[in-house]
This record gives sequence, C-alpha cells and structure tokens, in this order.
Amino acid sequence: MSESRFQKAADILTSYDGPRLRIMEVCGTHTHEIFRLGIRKLLAPQVDLISGPGCPVCVTQVGFIDEALWLAERGVTITTFGDLVRVPGTTRSLADARAQGARVQVVYSPLDALSYAREHADEQVCFLSVGFETTVPAACLAVEQACEQGVDNLTLLVANKTMPNAYAALKGSADVFLYPGHVHAITGTSLCEDLVSQGVSGVLAGFTAKELVTALAVAVSKAQEGVPFFVNAYPRVVRPEGTPAAVELMERVMEPCDAEWRGLGVIPGSGLTLRPAYEAFDARKRFEMPEMQGRANPACRCGEVLQGHCKPSDCPLFGRICTPTSPVGACMVSGEGACSAYYQYGGDLL
Amino acid sequence: MCVGLSAKVVRIQDGTALVDASGARREISVQLLDEVEPGDYVMVHAGIAIARITDEDEHETDEVMEALLA
Amino acid sequence: MSDVVTLAMGAGGRQTARLIEEVFAASFDSPLLTADDAAVLDAPRGKMAMSTDGFIVSPSFFAGGNIGKLSICGTVNDLACMGARPLYLTCGFVIEEGYPLDQLREIARSMATTASEVGVALVAGDTKVAGKGQVDGVFITTTGVGEVVEGTAPAGAQARPGDVVIVTGDIGRHGCTILLERDDFGIDADVTSDCAPLWESVSAMLDVTHDVHVIRDATRGGVGTVLYEIANQSSVGIRLDAASIPVDPAVGGVCRMLGLEPLYLACEGRLVVIAPREHADALVGALRSCPHSGGATVIGEVTDERPGWVVMRTEIGAETLLPQPGGELLPRIC
Repeated sequence: MSESRFQKAADILTSYDGPRLRIMEVCGTHTHEIFRLGIRKLLAPQVDLISGPGCPVCVTQVGFIDEALWLAERGVTITTFGDLVRVPGTTRSLADARAQGARVQVVYSPLDALSYAREHADEQVCFLSVGFETTVPAACLAVEQACEQGVDNLTLLVANKTMPNAYAALKGSADVFLYPGHVHAITGTSLCEDLVSQGVSGVLAGFTAKELVTALAVAVSKAQEGVPFFVNAYPRVVRPEGTPAAVELMERVMEPCDAEWRGLGVIPGSGLTLRPAYEAFDARKRFEMPEMQGRANPACRCGEVLQGHCKPSDCPLFGRICTPTSPVGACMVSGEGACSAYYQYGGDLL
Repeated sequence: MCVGLSAKVVRIQDGTALVDASGARREISVQLLDEVEPGDYVMVHAGIAIARITDEDEHETDEVMEALLA
Repeated sequence: MSDVVTLAMGAGGRQTARLIEEVFAASFDSPLLTADDAAVLDAPRGKMAMSTDGFIVSPSFFAGGNIGKLSICGTVNDLACMGARPLYLTCGFVIEEGYPLDQLREIARSMATTASEVGVALVAGDTKVAGKGQVDGVFITTTGVGEVVEGTAPAGAQARPGDVVIVTGDIGRHGCTILLERDDFGIDADVTSDCAPLWESVSAMLDVTHDVHVIRDATRGGVGTVLYEIANQSSVGIRLDAASIPVDPAVGGVCRMLGLEPLYLACEGRLVVIAPREHADALVGALRSCPHSGGATVIGEVTDERPGWVVMRTEIGAETLLPQPGGELLPRIC
C-alpha cells in the first residue's frame, strides 16, 4: 500500500466527526493485532471499537477445562493448542495438572495429535477441539484420517462453534461488524451478503496493519452513507465461494448443535458435534463422561464487555482480582480476549 | 481467533506440502485446495492450508482504498 | 574405559580419577587447575565480582553450541555485565549414568575453547554421577570471579531518562533454536543459537567510556523481560521503536507460525546496554567492531513517562505497552 493511501485511510479514522459509531471486531486475532499495533490510537473519539466474542478460548464454556481434567485424571493424554493450557477450570488448569503428572502435549495442529496417537498406540489420546470455522476443518481432517488409518486411540473433546447464529445474536450490538477474515476464507462471503439484506453492515478484514486500517477506513466511510453495506477488504485471501472442500469436509464429519458461549449464554445451532458415524471419536461418549457444569464468577461483566455495553476497566474485577496471570472471566483467559488485550497493551494507561 | 500465516509452497506430495515463511518451514496439509503448485502462496492455519492467496497486502489495500475513494 | 558414564565413575575411586583425567583434565589444561581441594589464586586488584549459574538445557547439544559452551558464556557474561574482567571459573557437573563419554569430552572441549577465547582460567571442578533418570543428561553449574574495571559500576537501577537502549545483535535466536531442536511443532528453520562470550564486547565499550549505566545479558525471558526489570529497578519508562528491533527473518517466521513474541525468546549472547545518548554512536561503533556484537543497534530510549512500563512505538507510529512477561511461552493458534 502506498504511503499516501495508508495516510488517507488513517486520516479517515482520525478525522471522523459524525455521530457515535460502534464497530465490533468479531475476531480475537483482530482484537490482539489492533491492540498490538496501537490502531485504537488512530480513531476519532466517536468511534467505539468493541471486541466481540471471536476468541474461541474465551467463549468456551467453563466446564470444558473440567472435562479435559477429568480425562487427564483417568490417564488420557491431552493434546491441545497452547492457547488452552493456562485457562483455569473450576479448581485448576491443564498447566497445573501437567505439573502434577498429567500428560498434556501442546500441538500445532490436530493432525499432530493424530500423529502422536499413531506413535503412542498404548495411550488414549484426546484432542481438545476448540475454534471456529477456520479451525474445524483441520480437526475434521484428523478424524477422517484416523478413520481411514484405523487409529482407534484418538478422540476429540469438541467445543467448536460457528459464526452465523452468533452474528444474529449480536445484531444490535454494533453499527458495523469487522468480519473475521479467516472464518470467511473457509465459508465465503454469502452470509455477509445475506446480512446486508437484514440491515447488518460489515467489512471483511485481514490482519496486517495496512489491512486493518484500510478495513476500518472503509467501515467508517461507508457507515456515513447510511445504507447497509458489505465490503470484502481482504480479497487476496477470501474468495466469494470460500474453500468449498473445507465446508464439505466439516459437513461430513460434524453437525450443528446448540452451544453455550461463555459470557453470552446459549446460542441455538451455534455449536458443532461429531456426526453419529464418527461418534467413536467423541471423548464424552467413549469415556462415558458425566455432564459437567462450571460456574462463572457472578461479579464478572464479560458478557457486557463482549457486547460492547461496558469497557473492561468498568468491571469491578478487572486488573484487581482478574488479571492475565489469574484470570476470572472469559475475556481475560486468553491473550486474545478483550480484557486481556486491554490489560496487556495498556488500554487504561495510554 | 485463527492465527493465520502466509507461506510459500516449496514442494507437494500426496496432499502434503512443505511450506516456507521467511525461512521457517513446516509440512502442512493442502488437501482442501485444488491446484496448488510449488511457488504458490497459501494461508496456513493449524497445520492446513485454508486458502490460496497472493503474497502481500500492497495491491489489495491500494485497490480497496481506490474503490472507496472513487 | 567404558564408553558411557557409570555410577562407579562417580564413586571417588580410581575410575573417578580416570574420568577426570581423560575427560576434563585433558581439555582443561590450565596451570591454575587444582588437583587439590581448592585452588589457591592471586586476588584481583580493586573490587571483585562473583557470580554463579546452573545450566540444564535440553537437548544438551544444539545448533551453534552445547551446554558446555553455554555454561562458560553464562557466567562470563554475568561478570561482564558488572564491568568485570572474568578471571577464574569453577565448574560442577552432575551427570546421568549412561551419558556417552564422547559427548562429555565434546562438552569439556567446548568449555575449554570458550574459556580460552575469553582468557578466563578454569581453576576447580567437581563431578557427580546420578542414577539413570535422576537428572536429564548433564547439568553444569559454573561459578566465576572477575575483576571490576576501576571506575565502572553498571547496575539495573542506573538507567536515566534520556539514555539510549542498545542491543548487541538480533534477538531471540537461542530460544528459537532450542524450541526447534525439541521439535515439538514439526518446524524446521536455519537458526543457530547466539550463545557467545561477551567480555570482549563489554571491554570495548568500557574503552570508549566508563559512563555506561546498565549492562544486562538477556538470557531467560529475553530482551523484553530484562527491559521490564530495568524499568522497575530504575523507576523509569522505556520506549522501544518496533521497526528498529533486529530479528533474524527465520526467527520472525517461526514466531509468526506459533504466535510468539521474539522479545520474550531467550538469548545467550546478547546484551542490553543503557547509556547516555552522547555516547551512543561511539558505543555502537565499538560493539560492532567485536566478533559477537557486530549487529549492535539502538532500539529505544529511556523516558520519565510511565515509570515501570515498556512502551512500543509500533509500525503505524502509535504507542502501546509491550505486554509484560507471562511465564512459559505457549504457541497461540486458535
């Protein structure tokens, strides 16, 4: 991007003098990058950036870590993305369990969990499957390959979620959505187009400084026209049709279910579960796991933060009882959560 | 949500590709994409290629801004 | 002699004597190395600096070094950071039963080579053998004594607003190397550890001026952790310019793949130097003339704003905090 066009985009953000404008970045990686780059500093005071519920670790229900710990206590090897290791369950985290002897293996990919299972045939191996449409295909690929290869010691503990019904649930929370680039790299743009007809505006954004500033400039400019709109500002990655093979794979292996979003409550049809044909890979079924309900701290205001009703620093727990090293609420448990990013990058200091 | 990495495909065999991101190399699955060839750029997430892409954000953002300002 | 370390070699008898003679004495041929219970040495002139450090790196051999080289560099660099010329070192080994002797010889040779590069004498050592599984390979502890260059007193609490922040080369290579060697994530890259002894670099700086406020080696926790420590000890703010922080492209690639911050990857041959701005060019010039600090560069400045915090000027020119060090580095994927 030429210097002058970047400057023009930045100027649009700085000089905006219209009515209050609420832009929700749905994606946790957007939240993280926006804070890391200091993009909030460019925004005119009337532009509110709301950090939405698109960090899979943040919205994973409290009881999920308890389920993983339950498996670990029974000798199951837990394979997981690094993101989940420090997240507290009701009494402890996977990091604590590992220190006490549980086998917790951090992996880069669900396919690495499959390799681990193949190489450790004497262990039961469970992959903690969290993430949105971007991450689900990798997990489904691991299941299909395990099936083909006859690997019978791998299971998934599934807490995957999908965005369409979440957008519907968040409808009134923002004037413009900054759509998550990598989710739509998989699912394509038809949903975003459909949302325009329901009066929901959005811009599909990439993750570099240029891409984020450009997408925000588009959001601010278009919003002033007063007509619902959708712009794909990440066309080098997101094609209108998405990645059809990935969508087909997801549909073969998983099916929708209702899901609890930590901080937001149950959103119908927004979760995924393994289809009956693959239920042998479902850790809850294989190990006959009892139902586990975690309990959130009642003083925590994460639900309001996720919907832009308050700032992280408005919560009585923020920065006092609830910090990245001892998180209480959904938005603090992951580095991509709104409260964590706000705390770590000095949202209330700078 | 979904840390992505753009990387260049070095070689491909049986749906698995070796990709390179400024000298960091890893094998990933390219099973979900058609017609990926060595030299192509892909967006990588959690060990799989989720999209074929153009490498840099220069033209893209220029074009988006031009469309906006037109 | 057996080709692996045995418990008998740690029992104090003839086999112990042979282990010491054939592995350690063969490499450490310093005239000061004692065969008695303690080394008897000339005292340093003026003030003396003393430091100790334990090394348990796994794997013990890695691209660009091994635990032996690391154990010399670590203590030498700790002394150098106090403005002290390293004089004497002792080393204690705890070796796992079954450890290959040829690897132990290689470790000892690296220690000797590194010590002789610095001009520090290995004067005493100790060897213990632990049963299989009681330690992981080999653990080394080194203790060093150095002579403080008269008129210097660098310390973490000496940073002053207006000072510049210098790093002596690209950051995070050691941490990245170890992460790749452990091969937990299937990633491959041509990265070698920055492990190096830095007395020569410090000496070259002190030849320019004795007015160097802080010298720290950015080991565990990386440059970011050291900067936060200095900001707290000195009650100052530190502002970094993101674009000027040197990172090897492959280290950057690995970090992007795993969502890690290079400022928090360990270095074993990099100093953070804080000094008055008027000396910046001369200090950087002196550092660049030394073999292990050719990539020295200014990365930021000390301020009187927000004491205790490290602020980043980002690629778009905005300011944010550098997130505080958070313990174990975990890849961020989903």
